[in-house]
Amino acid sequence: MDLQGLVEYIAKKLVEDPSQVSVNVIETSSSITLELRVGAGEMGRVIGKSGRIANAIRTLVRVAAAREGKRVNLEIV
Amino acid sequence: MSQANEFSGKTVDEAIDKGVAELGVTRDAVTIEIVREGSRGILGLGGEDARVRLTRAESSPAATHSEAETDAHTLLAELLRRMGIRAHIEILPAAESEGPDAFALNIAGDDLGTLIGRRGETLRDLEYVLRLMLAPKHQAAKVVVDVEGYRVRRERMLRELAKRMAERVEVSHQPITLEAMPPNERRIVHLTLRDHPFVKTNSIGEGEHRRVMILRK
Repeated sequence: MDLQGLVEYIAKKLVEDPSQVSVNVIETSSSITLELRVGAGEMGRVIGKSGRIANAIRTLVRVAAAREGKRVNLEIV
Repeated sequence: MSQANEFSGKTVDEAIDKGVAELGVTRDAVTIEIVREGSRGILGLGGEDARVRLTRAESSPAATHSEAETDAHTLLAELLRRMGIRAHIEILPAAESEGPDAFALNIAGDDLGTLIGRRGETLRDLEYVLRLMLAPKHQAAKVVVDVEGYRVRRERMLRELAKRMAERVEVSHQPITLEAMPPNERRIVHLTLRDHPFVKTNSIGEGEHRRVMILRK
């Protein structure tokens, strides 16, 4: 499952400058952490008010990762 | 190409509602033929069910989709593909309560329960993300995302619940508070009872605990 590609795909549609979007993956035996980076001043577009956008993206990532049997974290850094 | 199906209910309206919910479409997407009007009978005895025949247009008259509809379809298809979900997406007119310009994308496939989530939460998040992705190009587009007609069925259920509870309040004069619901579902209840002669509705509580209260006017 390409979780990295999924997050990248969503984030690139939400920001003004898609070229600044990158996703770093840190995988351990029990968990996967996805670190999403966007351009300066665009964090609000992927986080949203009280983290609403970030949480919605987390939901989709969780559905996608359900079969992996691993905990998935999405951090916006 | 089209398929015809017959449905029955206590009233013609109910029969149609049942049919469109079962077919997972909206009223606009079918042609309706009334087979039998149905009658109430006396004191609930001897009544005859209404019967309707619904013909579902395989390609509705509005087969030419707007740019917003096509773009939304493309975005959702790619999103699902990347989520590892194999499904078919159909573009449908949205429920009337969503407004005149709204359209719906119904996701059809096997084993899509995870896409609905607890009380439709996953489905709402999916719709929210899709709307955000669509917004830069189609600011005003209103897309509703459904899975196997879940929202259509849920809306019908909520309308029936609202009417039943309103009847109770009308008779007992005691207010009834429904279980906590998300905004779109509370809206369906409010709209259903908007023109009710004897009851009115309020929302009470905050956030996830917000509930609709039905009380005597």
